[in-house]
Amino acid sequence: MMELNLSRVDYLQVGITSPKSLKLLPPAGKKDPTQKVVVADHNGVLQCFSLKKGEPNHVFKTLPGNKMVRVELGGPLGQVREKIFVATGPEVKGFNKKGKQFLGFDTNMSESILAMHVEGADLFVSGNYIYNHYKDCKDTNYYLCQDKVNDIIVLPVERIPEIMPVLACQDRVLRVLQDSDILYEVETPGPPSTLCMYAGTGGDEGNEILYGTSDGRIGLVEIGRTMASPRRRLAPSHRWELPNEKRNGGVLCLDNYDMTADGILDLVVGRDDGLVEIYGYDEADEPILRHTTTCSESVTSVQGGRVANGTFDEVVCTTYAGWVIGLTTHTMTEKATGPGGARVVDRDVQAKIIHLRQEMEALQQKVIQEREKYQVTAQHKNAISAVPQFNINDKFVLNKEDASYTLSLEVQMAIDNVLIQSDVPVDLLDVDKNSAVVSFSACNPEEGNYLLATYRCQANTTRLEIKVRSIEGQYGTLQAYTTPRLQPKTCVVKQYPIKPLSLHQRTHVFDENRPNCSLKLMGNFSLAEIHSWVTFCLPELPERTPAGDTAVFHFVSTFLDTQLMCQYKKGEGLFKSDNISTISILKDVLTKEATKKKIRLDISYDINEESVAHLLNLIHPKLEYQLVLAKKVQIIDALKELQVHESDTSFLSAEYQQILQDAEKLQEEYKKQPCCLERLYGMITDLFIDKFKFKGQNVKSKVPLLIEHLDNYDLGQLIQFFNASG
Amino acid sequence: MLVPIFTLKLNHKINPRMVTVGKYDGKHPCLTCATTAGKVFIHNPHTRGERGGRMEGSADTDISLLNINQAVSAVCAGRLDASKPNDILMVGTQTNLLAYDVDNNSDLFYQDTPDGSNAIIVGHLGSIDTPLAVVGGNCSLHGYDYEGNDPFWTVTGDNVCSLAMLDFNGDGVNELIVGSEDFDIRIFKEDEIIAEMTETETITSLCKMMGSRFGYALANGTVGVYDRTARYWRIKSKNQAVTINSFDLDGDGVPELITGWSNGKIDARSDRTGEVVFKDNFTNAVAGIVDADYRLDGQQQLICCSIEGEVRGYKAAPQEMKGNLMDTNVEQETIRELSQRKQNLLLELKNYEENQKAAQSSRPSGLGDLDQGQMGIIPANTQLQTTLQVNHGKEGKAPHVELNVCTTNDTVVRAVLIFAEGIFEGESYVVHPVNVGVSSSLRVPIIPPKDVPVDLHIKAFVGLRNSNQFHVFELTRQLPRFSMYALCGGDVPEPKSSVVFQVNERVQRVLMWINQNFLLQEDLVCPGALDARFMSLRGAGPLCVKMETNGQVTIKTDDMDVAAEVIQSLALFLKIEDLQVTADFPDEMEALRLTLIKVDDFHAVRQKLTAEMADHSNLIRSLVVRAEDARLMGDMKNMKKGYMELFDLNKDLINGYKIRCNNHTELLSCLKQVNQVIQKAGKLRVGKHKTQVVNACRDAIKNNNASSLFKIMRSGAVTS
Repeated sequence: MMELNLSRVDYLQVGITSPKSLKLLPPAGKKDPTQKVVVADHNGVLQCFSLKKGEPNHVFKTLPGNKMVRVELGGPLGQVREKIFVATGPEVKGFNKKGKQFLGFDTNMSESILAMHVEGADLFVSGNYIYNHYKDCKDTNYYLCQDKVNDIIVLPVERIPEIMPVLACQDRVLRVLQDSDILYEVETPGPPSTLCMYAGTGGDEGNEILYGTSDGRIGLVEIGRTMASPRRRLAPSHRWELPNEKRNGGVLCLDNYDMTADGILDLVVGRDDGLVEIYGYDEADEPILRHTTTCSESVTSVQGGRVANGTFDEVVCTTYAGWVIGLTTHTMTEKATGPGGARVVDRDVQAKIIHLRQEMEALQQKVIQEREKYQVTAQHKNAISAVPQFNINDKFVLNKEDASYTLSLEVQMAIDNVLIQSDVPVDLLDVDKNSAVVSFSACNPEEGNYLLATYRCQANTTRLEIKVRSIEGQYGTLQAYTTPRLQPKTCVVKQYPIKPLSLHQRTHVFDENRPNCSLKLMGNFSLAEIHSWVTFCLPELPERTPAGDTAVFHFVSTFLDTQLMCQYKKGEGLFKSDNISTISILKDVLTKEATKKKIRLDISYDINEESVAHLLNLIHPKLEYQLVLAKKVQIIDALKELQVHESDTSFLSAEYQQILQDAEKLQEEYKKQPCCLERLYGMITDLFIDKFKFKGQNVKSKVPLLIEHLDNYDLGQLIQFFNASG
Repeated sequence: MLVPIFTLKLNHKINPRMVTVGKYDGKHPCLTCATTAGKVFIHNPHTRGERGGRMEGSADTDISLLNINQAVSAVCAGRLDASKPNDILMVGTQTNLLAYDVDNNSDLFYQDTPDGSNAIIVGHLGSIDTPLAVVGGNCSLHGYDYEGNDPFWTVTGDNVCSLAMLDFNGDGVNELIVGSEDFDIRIFKEDEIIAEMTETETITSLCKMMGSRFGYALANGTVGVYDRTARYWRIKSKNQAVTINSFDLDGDGVPELITGWSNGKIDARSDRTGEVVFKDNFTNAVAGIVDADYRLDGQQQLICCSIEGEVRGYKAAPQEMKGNLMDTNVEQETIRELSQRKQNLLLELKNYEENQKAAQSSRPSGLGDLDQGQMGIIPANTQLQTTLQVNHGKEGKAPHVELNVCTTNDTVVRAVLIFAEGIFEGESYVVHPVNVGVSSSLRVPIIPPKDVPVDLHIKAFVGLRNSNQFHVFELTRQLPRFSMYALCGGDVPEPKSSVVFQVNERVQRVLMWINQNFLLQEDLVCPGALDARFMSLRGAGPLCVKMETNGQVTIKTDDMDVAAEVIQSLALFLKIEDLQVTADFPDEMEALRLTLIKVDDFHAVRQKLTAEMADHSNLIRSLVVRAEDARLMGDMKNMKKGYMELFDLNKDLINGYKIRCNNHTELLSCLKQVNQVIQKAGKLRVGKHKTQVVNACRDAIKNNNASSLFKIMRSGAVTS
């Protein structure tokens, strides 16, 4: 297999960029294979440049304006796509490749455009929840989505004449539309954040779509099309899915480009933790990782092409802070060392450095002046100090794998320090990626602080990732105060709610056959009111009150795999779960919320005794695995010592020999899931207390007995203990 | 890119910091590491010698194992016998020190070290002729020569963690650098302390660099370089530095500081700037870094070992690499850095522009509340005032130093972050009141655990009540050394104990010292004789500082430690080089007397237990023989009886062992106390008198002469 070696070259820096706001224009002609770069930023500047000897050479650059969030290329059907479309606020602007504006179209949408797709004379845009289709700038189709739309793509019209837009929605589905109606939904393993046609064209039939999710997965799905026959083939088929085992960042952008020069388009992936990955395909068309580069900032766009040089392939990326970077197959270091080992500094590069230095000095002078002016104004009585708020690119997502939250914070400047404060007990876990020095401060719960931690960042850190483990039933707010290294120093606080059922995740299935317990609420409340209460309890719900009379949402616990169904309408709410603790938490919180609004609730519940045994059975494999693992890890050292003493270990039992053989794997596994056992114990204890709480009994005094049972674990005995107590 | 020139998998665990390399036959370097189960292994790929005695070898590898039968606490190899070319291996455990001649497979000496041995270094110290193996234990330092005598013996402030030898002051002979658990780095010129540097955590590693420079590593993840008493640079990481060494990896003639980290990272940093010139990664924590000519090609290699027994050797980079070991593109890096700085300046400029814009737009109409909250607009003349004062505490709240932070107008202080070293659990302390409790002033309680001056780096988030953006005010305040002492009136009872000495200074100078080193609301003034009384907030009782106009100073406190700190600080301020005092600490002396009696008791118990153990082992032998005899004769009844007795005896032995263990830990803590009192008695004096007291006390202890010990501590001189 060919080794792929890419060197990083920085082209220039623009303002903050949104995902997919960089495109490469098709090459101008056969003679000149180099491509021009089009990039738009939050300052509202759209610029197009080519590279001459590594220096950006601007073709055009618009004046600053409203922030631009998306760039798409379009053109008449069947011809080169070289018209540039930019989404800014509710408007779509069109520019030709010379920078002349030929279109200024106000969609009059009530939301700002967040995603856009252009296909011939058809324009598809979406805001937070709204999808709109314009043909020749005339409103033709409209759809209101149940959850946030992250991206939009349309199957190539040349090959599939019936227009089929696909919306990537936050509630873990791809919604396939036809006209103004939903055709069907495709479930994805995580919230899809970006879409891309497979191999640029959508594969053989033009109906294969690549998606990337915000929890770092990538998948290929084939969109089944409507058939003329009465038996319509609508089922999507999942071709492959890449799990996120290494817990890399969420996917922000995808592209197809043949970087390995083997005639097959490779998959280029940009992630929000700064990784750029290149996947090739094997014989079975399954992706295999060929290359990774770390950029240390969120990679918002990736595009394969030839920009700096007509002969070398490269991936052009933008980062959140606005860097336009080339990852080129052109090796830079070889060039830098000339004959005789002496270092020949590229003259162009040197000129660039000198130029930069001069610019810097001039700037520095100006800044010093301004700084003094600022100091002087401080003497005035009526003067104010107003520093514009800097943007924070933040994300707070639940990881399915280890049932913990990842908080990532990214700003345009280097971060000086971050203060994390929480008014609920949460654990902060160490993340290998971040190099910041963490310090936990003593805190007093009476002052509303269960956690006070400072992260002092190393120089040039613009992104910080923190892992947080929450406990279901304990809810409140986590706050992050971010201070960048920029004068005058300011900090911005961001709040993240830790919800009562924080470890639950949206899903679209519910198994009625499980022994479910149910909770029924009746009272004088509106749909909006109960929706706001449920949103308060559970993550991943849209803030907007769902359309229609009845709302139904399904959830699964990432830690225990128990399920939850919420079904509510005006005056009535029904919640079903196979976990008594979930029902108990819901009951407590909903009652509290309703009391706050002075609404009287009639609560009835139906506790299924079987659910306890069911849940313990569900936990059993996990608990047993953890117990065995802990036991094995405990004796590894002793066995190793034996191994040192004895030249031959064949006298050991097969089990011990196996442990010795797998020692490293076991230890790694053990390290991966710290406190897993404690968490399981906690869940079982909660279940125990909650079960009897519904019976009106307080069994807190029996908890030590329960722990004793857990320490000498046996499933049968445990179930018996649950049944016998009380 | 610099790559390892050899890698080895030794398949033995390696204890952190217990790695050394020795030429045991005088020629071939052998990697030597302590491993689990009280063993030391020697990797000798050069010759396969015969084995026996302590050494047991496995036939198919180059590794031989030494059985120490106790948990090893330190290993070090070096030429202890100057007359022979071969290195001697020193192995320290908590109770013993073994000097082992690997080549001849014989013990050179085996010493009891009741103070333990946390660190060992072999080399020439000061003007002492023979090479010494200096062993750092609990508050003590012993230097053994090749016969096992200890011509060097002194005490230090706390448990020794790390040692290094280098010519600190350029006098042509080596000084000893000692890092200990009380965060101090002390420089011993033989038994005189010539310099002391206070760090912020336990000093876990020290290493000699070039000239008078040395590297250090702390338990909190800090590494850095000192040149004599001045710190060149330091960096802090979230990982722990396990071990440090110096090696010229980039071939520029100046050794770099090589650090092995707990996450498996190895980096080489320039000794002048701390800039990383090379890094590599192991999959496990690094255990040790040494250098030796392991390939016998005349060049030194840097050898790094991980705790799982992975070993990598690196050769210094050739000249052609020009110190660029990491394949970086220097030009691109420069451009990136410059652009980044440019971007930063542009952003700052933008901040000022926006500020002016906001100022203009606000003049006629005023900004709305929303804007104010968004941008966190505050009046430009907002100032942050800080005051430090002593708070005596009340019910449920311990006395502390209080830092009061307040703004000059109706803006609020949302939170205060204080970064300071050595006084908090971590490196920072945060005060973040509940939302409704936010006001324009905030109190931060601080309880410094030690009497050291500390810089408090304060960051205060100032804004409006509902803002989500705050201005960050940054300022630094110094906490004086004796901030945990509150000024009291004259009615405070005087402590029994006192230190009296004579200085050649005016009262005003001492007064100045008090004003600078204590936390006072206003400066003290005193026309005639000085009598300042303080109360310790840590519960150490009152502290009186008196001075007559004739220059006689009396310090009264029952805590010897406090008196010592006061004298050291005062001597430094008044630039006194030598100071002799008369110390009278009846309570401390009584405690010491009791401790000494206890030490004697423990020694007696130990002897008795050892004798018992010997008895028991004899009994065991005969019991086994009898029981086995019975078995062979088919006399099952007697065999059973024999084994039952054996079982009981075994239980007794285990019990005896437990008692011995307890006895030993008690003994250890008593010995530590004794060492600390001696150290304190020394610290009551300055300069040569300090050394004198320590030496005299040591002699008294050796001769078991308790009464003279007390006299020495009192008068500071050896009485005939």
